[in-house]
Amino acid sequence: MNFKGTLPALILEALVQEPRHGYRIAQRIKERSQGVLDFKEGTLYPALHKLENQGLVESYEGAEKGRPRRYYRITRSGRAALAKDRAEWRELSRAVTMILGEA
Amino acid sequence: MTNGLDHWLKQATRHSSGDSTLQVRTEIQEHYELAREAALERGATAEAAEQEALTALGDAKAANRQYRRVLLTSAEARLLREGTWESRAVCSHRPARTLLPSLAVAALLAAAVLFRTGTAVAARLLLLAGVGMSQLFIVPFLPVYTPARSRVVRYVKLGCAGGDAATSFRP
Repeated sequence: MNFKGTLPALILEALVQEPRHGYRIAQRIKERSQGVLDFKEGTLYPALHKLENQGLVESYEGAEKGRPRRYYRITRSGRAALAKDRAEWRELSRAVTMILGEA
Repeated sequence: MTNGLDHWLKQATRHSSGDSTLQVRTEIQEHYELAREAALERGATAEAAEQEALTALGDAKAANRQYRRVLLTSAEARLLREGTWESRAVCSHRPARTLLPSLAVAALLAAAVLFRTGTAVAARLLLLAGVGMSQLFIVPFLPVYTPARSRVVRYVKLGCAGGDAATSFRP
């Protein structure tokens, strides 16, 4: 499903509970959407770098099963941005539902 | 590394700077390996697992377009290097860091004093020297660390060089 423009918010949501590396972020989004949001994973990292440049996430070197991994964690600004995105999405969703009706 | 992944990475890092290329290759290879291992655990053959991991990455050209918006391209990296070569030359020596910019300021102050006292030829020479040294030794202390600022510095330098030339040949 095309969800262009929502990927940054989905990444931020995937990082709310705990820091994750890129692959786990992609898995988290797919699992939470029950496979509906199946995006191309090559676009995940540019989005992560953009969020990092904006100060919404920060990265650090970590390890998983003895292998080095770059982990990402959400910042305070990232949490604020996610809260704003959530509010906007609820409003948009409510408006579209009023027009198209409940699923 | 498989040929398919190598080809994908070459396309995704086209025109990227050396550092950006290294970063992209590292993160995509890590991602690819995890996706491949997950497919193998689900029972896929080695070949199918590689294909699945590669397909999941999507279009390399689309990734390249997005990477170039957020990571330095080779052209931008070259612009930064050329725009701030003085930084590396001057700032690598602690005494020079203070002495050389002071010389530039002293030359400009002396030129101002000589202009006021009417010694125009000497003043003009000192002005030329001061402007030249300022370009070389003061720029490193300016916050030039983005391609946009580097371009501005380059235009200012060209303007100063033009001004220098015009002052030199003025009768």
